Amino acid sequence: MKTAASDVYDNTSDDPTRPPVLILGDQDFTSVTDKIAGIVERPSPPRAWYIAFAVTVSMTGVLFAMILYLILTGVGVWGLNNPVGWGWAIVNFVFWVGIGHAGTLISAILFLLRQKWRTSINRFAEAMTIFAVICAGIFPAIHVGRIWVVHWLFPIPNYQAMWPNFRSPLLWDVFAVGTYMLVSLLFWFTGMIPDLATLRDRATSKVRQMAYGFFALGWRGSHRHWHRYEKAYLLLAGLATPLVLSVHSVVSFDFAVAQIAGWHTTIFPPYFVAGAVFSGFAMVGTCLVPARQWFGLKNFITIYHLENMNKIILATGSMVGLAYATEFFIAWYGGNPNEAFVFVNRAFGPYAWAYWIMVSCNVLIPQLFWFKRLRTNVVVMWIIYIFVNIGMWFERFVITVTSLHRDFLPGSWGYYKPSIVDILTFAGSFGLFFTLVLLFVRYLPMVAMAEVKTVMPIADAHSGERRAVGDYHGDIPQEIRDRRSHS
Amino acid sequence: MAHSQAPKLADTKTTLGSLGPRIYMVAGGVGLVALAASVALGLAKADGLRHFGFSYLVSYAYFLGISLGALVFVALQHVTRSSWSVVIRRLPELMAANLVVLALLALPILLNLSHIYAWASGHVPAEQAALLAHKAPYLNKTFFTIRWVVYFVAWIWLAFYFWRKSLRQDETGEVKLTKQMENLSGFALVVFALTCSFAGMDLLMTLDFAWFSTMFGVYYFATGFVTFCAVLTLVTLALQSTGRLENIVSGEHLHDYGKLMFAFTFFWAYIAFSQYMLYWYANIPEETVWYLVRSQNGWGRVGVILIFFTWLAPFLGLISRFAKRSRKLLAVWAVWIVIAQWVNVYWLAMPVFSPDRVRLDLLDVTCFVGIGGIWLATLALLAGNRSLVPTQDPRLRDSLNFENA
Repeated sequence: MKTAASDVYDNTSDDPTRPPVLILGDQDFTSVTDKIAGIVERPSPPRAWYIAFAVTVSMTGVLFAMILYLILTGVGVWGLNNPVGWGWAIVNFVFWVGIGHAGTLISAILFLLRQKWRTSINRFAEAMTIFAVICAGIFPAIHVGRIWVVHWLFPIPNYQAMWPNFRSPLLWDVFAVGTYMLVSLLFWFTGMIPDLATLRDRATSKVRQMAYGFFALGWRGSHRHWHRYEKAYLLLAGLATPLVLSVHSVVSFDFAVAQIAGWHTTIFPPYFVAGAVFSGFAMVGTCLVPARQWFGLKNFITIYHLENMNKIILATGSMVGLAYATEFFIAWYGGNPNEAFVFVNRAFGPYAWAYWIMVSCNVLIPQLFWFKRLRTNVVVMWIIYIFVNIGMWFERFVITVTSLHRDFLPGSWGYYKPSIVDILTFAGSFGLFFTLVLLFVRYLPMVAMAEVKTVMPIADAHSGERRAVGDYHGDIPQEIRDRRSHS
Repeated sequence: MAHSQAPKLADTKTTLGSLGPRIYMVAGGVGLVALAASVALGLAKADGLRHFGFSYLVSYAYFLGISLGALVFVALQHVTRSSWSVVIRRLPELMAANLVVLALLALPILLNLSHIYAWASGHVPAEQAALLAHKAPYLNKTFFTIRWVVYFVAWIWLAFYFWRKSLRQDETGEVKLTKQMENLSGFALVVFALTCSFAGMDLLMTLDFAWFSTMFGVYYFATGFVTFCAVLTLVTLALQSTGRLENIVSGEHLHDYGKLMFAFTFFWAYIAFSQYMLYWYANIPEETVWYLVRSQNGWGRVGVILIFFTWLAPFLGLISRFAKRSRKLLAVWAVWIVIAQWVNVYWLAMPVFSPDRVRLDLLDVTCFVGIGGIWLATLALLAGNRSLVPTQDPRLRDSLNFENA
């Protein structure tokens, strides 16, 4: 199965008679390692990386300055009012947790579904999951007001016999998000061990060798190692799969258990999960499309990969649309005047602008992905990703604010506006997120080398003259092998 | 892509042959007799066929769910360009095409609306009259019938599209037929999502017209899909026990059946739990009333049985790789799920008819056997003596060679 260079060969042709070619550019194992490891092994990154890093670190500085200001002053610095006691902090929390869903879906669920194309994007997506969950975790923590007792979120035995309220979904969040973070981190790290060993073996400085060597956990690539690795990977995938559903289901409980019209509806758990996957894929795409360009990864993250992601975005976006429609239908069908009021108020009240931004970005614009020409065009898809990111933030804004701002007592109705601190904190969280992404692409292999190799034609024992020989030591560059054999 | 030990299609019996007429004679005969008995039993109750209507509705909703599960399964295989399932795809294609007979079997419900659905009966308590008036634009016999005609037109069109294209490919081997099915599959899923959710609400949720749940359509889908997975397993194993599909459907395919049953048992529980927990937690009377009826007078015990019988037991039973690859255990759990999910549908519908006690009647059995018998008979009739495997599908070779990594 010969493949030409990526700009010539169209691997989205979708021919039923043969499986799609996942890795382009006539690669063999060595060229894969050289390409991916080479990005990390450059003596210094390009100047653009430094500029980007300076920007994102400055934004992270803004984030921490705002948090400090908040702690020193109190949550009054935010735009919260009565009746809107939950504002941007919870919106941002749900937004970031949602983004953290693509990684584990790609690495766990698509693994169980034998979607081989996931190997090109899973490492990157998993890293983004972890960074997004870090960003998410900040918001509820700083929302507690008295941050110096934030450890009371956890059920820690204490002499006052004080416990958090186990019936509160906010406590369930602590467990759900905590478990998700832990398992995602383990999954990401476990999957990276063979690649870390490769980086260790290729290291040209003692520091790098020690650093990568420490995290490679003594990986030698023996059959026994591979056997255990694959078993662990499968088990972690099985464990992570229900977590993909549980985290955002629990997040949806934050709203849905309340007796507040617009929040209390039973579709929320699966609808939130679909929305989370939707937003997560859009954010992965937002980062991957430029990354494959800048780092020359077009042969690894091909148009076929992006097209598949866009199909998932179309599917989950349509599920979200169906949920919006069902909610609206039942708001009428249920015959509860409060419920009906909230939905009409959403669409035509003071926050109608936010509602229609949400509907346009989440339901209407992704429908463009029905057209193959549009879903395989990198410029078009990137613009759609941006719309989806905006739309999904607005979804959480609409849910949170429109249900609160006109509550059961018309005398206490109000209009919520964020303060400058709200805005800068949220902008700062992007700084933190992209700082972590930039560090990741600088120091860790952003494509899972070991996994990608398994889906290449030459990994097949029957692939003929280009059959793979030997084990993973074939990855070690010739000059290093020579040096070792001389010493 | 190891093609060295590809099992040979030619060595395997892939048609029903003489078995077909035997199935549709016996199953069809038994089914018709059981249906006639149901009507007689229903008339004997002298309640205007109300009891018959409910018993019939339970089994009808149940078998409709199976065929709808088959339809969405076929569309999903095409939309994902799946290869593992090619060798068994004809079976769900047939089960989906069976929606044709389910359209006919819908008539006893559509003609008996006023005895089954309070909103159609004209006898509504005074305090609920205003509520019903509010819902009347949706809940009236004419619009209900129009909706069901629309649902069935959509479903039968989709099911026949996939089934007939697939049959034509057996003869011509044209690759473009696969492309055509794939091109329709995305749209098919959209149509399915809309129609299945509303059909589920129409059929079972509107039994208590005051009650509502946005999750209900998903609940009905989850029930139907997991039952479909179990029925598919049983049909495959039954065919294999007669020497059909013997070498070509391997332990690898059965392993995937096991995974599907396991995953969707869990999915059903997730949906059922989410709906219950959110209503229980908020404790709003207009929402909890549905669960109140289903937690009193013995129905609560049925609900508890659902937790252990419908979720926990198959969940634990199918968790191991060994169980998913053992024909015997797989058959046991498939039968288990088939029964358990019927209890689930029974628990959804029957408390409306008999809120004061769990009244398992002979009618429930005869309706199940009646609709099930006819469903099975037409399945065999539709299968005919044609191949049970899409012999010319371009991905068939991958399907025959497929291995769980």
